[in-house]
Amino acid sequence: MEAKTAKTKAGEWRKYERVLLPPIKDLHRIDVYEANGGYKALKDAIKGEKWTPTAVTDEVKASGLRGRGGASFGCGLKWSFMPKPDGGPRYLCCNGDESEPGTFKDRQLMEYNPHLVFEGIMIACYAMSISTCYLYVRGEYADWIDQMETELAKAYAKGYVGKNILGSDFSCELIIHKGAGAYICGEETSLMESLEGKRAYPRIKPPFPAQYGVFGRPTTINNVETLACVPLILERGASWYAGLGAAKHPGPVLYGISGHVNRPGVYEYPTGMLITDLIEEVARGVRGGKKVKAVVPGGSSTPPLRADMIDGVTMDVESLREAGSMMGTAGMLVMDEDTDMVSWLRRVTHFYHHESCGQCTPCREGTGWLEDIVSRIERGEGRVRDLDLLADLCSQMEGRTVCALADAAAWPVRYTIDRFRDEFVARCRPSHVAVPALPESELEEAET
Amino acid sequence: MAESGHGKVVKLPDRDPKPAFSKEDLVFASEEKKRIAGFVEEYEKPDGAIMKALWLAQEKFGFLHPDVIQLVADEVGIPYAQAYGVATFYTQYYKNKTGKYVLDVCTCFSCQVCGGYDILHYLEEKLEIHKGETTDDGLFTIQEVECLGACGSAPMLQVTNGPYVHHLTREKVDALVDALQNGQMPSFTSITLPQDEDEMGGNRRTDVDKTEAYRTPPVAETVE
Repeated sequence: MEAKTAKTKAGEWRKYERVLLPPIKDLHRIDVYEANGGYKALKDAIKGEKWTPTAVTDEVKASGLRGRGGASFGCGLKWSFMPKPDGGPRYLCCNGDESEPGTFKDRQLMEYNPHLVFEGIMIACYAMSISTCYLYVRGEYADWIDQMETELAKAYAKGYVGKNILGSDFSCELIIHKGAGAYICGEETSLMESLEGKRAYPRIKPPFPAQYGVFGRPTTINNVETLACVPLILERGASWYAGLGAAKHPGPVLYGISGHVNRPGVYEYPTGMLITDLIEEVARGVRGGKKVKAVVPGGSSTPPLRADMIDGVTMDVESLREAGSMMGTAGMLVMDEDTDMVSWLRRVTHFYHHESCGQCTPCREGTGWLEDIVSRIERGEGRVRDLDLLADLCSQMEGRTVCALADAAAWPVRYTIDRFRDEFVARCRPSHVAVPALPESELEEAET
Repeated sequence: MAESGHGKVVKLPDRDPKPAFSKEDLVFASEEKKRIAGFVEEYEKPDGAIMKALWLAQEKFGFLHPDVIQLVADEVGIPYAQAYGVATFYTQYYKNKTGKYVLDVCTCFSCQVCGGYDILHYLEEKLEIHKGETTDDGLFTIQEVECLGACGSAPMLQVTNGPYVHHLTREKVDALVDALQNGQMPSFTSITLPQDEDEMGGNRRTDVDKTEAYRTPPVAETVE
């Protein structure tokens, strides 16, 4: 029933013209970026009469932009949570930690169009009257951080960032903060702790970052790709943005397709793309003409979909929720029919065990047990009852910790076993050993 | 109250007879102090500068020995315990001496299903060490790491928190090890977007020496 309407969600995607990464040579250089209309939205926002800070926030709200970091939360709504300025410092954090397995889109955006990100940051800071933004980039991206530092220095020199931007009385600093290898830093409160120079243990919410954020001040955290959409919304209008892709989850998306496809990579298309289109046409089908076995639509935390579950499913929150998964980061992993789901799940549980920060017991211990039990099944030493044990363990973890890492660790286990149960059962030994019947002579003896 | 024993001073054994760094070495140059002071400026409280300062220290000293962490903590102006807590939380800060080149092989799921473990095992056999160990000549350390964010160009590895090497094959690993033995770090590789290839005929950047296009990943022989 979904299939017919779903086909049209992404519209004429074959004729789609890219906006986040438009086909322009050397767009990462500031002169090329300027020559192609770069920083015009910022100029308009700061200098024009039309764009008061509230008007910018309203426009972003009207565009329907949802966060691209995984939770798909309304961006304009998030901005409107910021309290009125009280004269003290306020912060924006741009989240470039990108550590979710299967996700590699922000890195390409930061390499090929960093000024769009800077411009988005500056407009967001203007909209929320923020004077400092930290761009938190994972430490592994050292090369890309260096390149961005170079470009950022040029943006400072040209007056797009820093004191009295473009001669106005709006000033905003942009500081790139280099992480040092911790998946948990992608969680917003953990990112703030990391910025404050502490171990990155997530905080309990509430208070939410808009009330009590970095250094106890009002803070908003947005993903790199989310902020990169902001200049486009101002330039082309909220209605243009809202009309692109799926109605309830509009806009351009960087789809990162990896795994067993002929042509993996980062592709920019509108939301609401059919998963089958992305695999068959965009990524040119499964390697070696094999069949799809499973698709993880948006990074390791999103439940995998079986091949028979992806028909007619489109890449937007609504459709994926109905299908039994999530949009996540749109980092899609495709696995072919030969993939061993037990081994795959073991590697996923290993990841979460390694990356659990250790603050909450259900997660610290639970992720370890998940890995141990799945490893045991993988070695062929498991019992069928282990599958129930795993499900029970997942229930003990979900929603019982400060942040969502425990949930993110439990979901793939719960749903992979649910959806590929036969494969797991086949690897487990029978859950009890059959008791051989007593020989008849002994039976008679027992009776007497 | 026996008198023997009084008046005798028992010399305690030297707790650190072979310090990792001599006192003369364990200092920041004025240039480095200036940079750290700059980091401190960037944050509302000096604490925020600790990560950048630790990075700087690691580049200078190679790894974060407790003495180095103490030095950084003093320079930034925060307690040692806090600096130690931060240094031990993040995986990229080396707590022990490593080889000159640390090969971080990604085996997280996209790399796993595309042969990340094949590359890890091949490296282990080639260098005759297990993951987590350093070769006798002190040149190489192998680590199995979590997702490095290059899933489309799997399998891949990172050399000493620096350049990425994408689309690994055995031949590529051989060439990499040879180059590193000659002191040559791999240069930055820009991965061409598939849509750029179609619409622009290649990589969009003219300022990089090395580019690679996304390609079909190999078939994984082992997955653990």
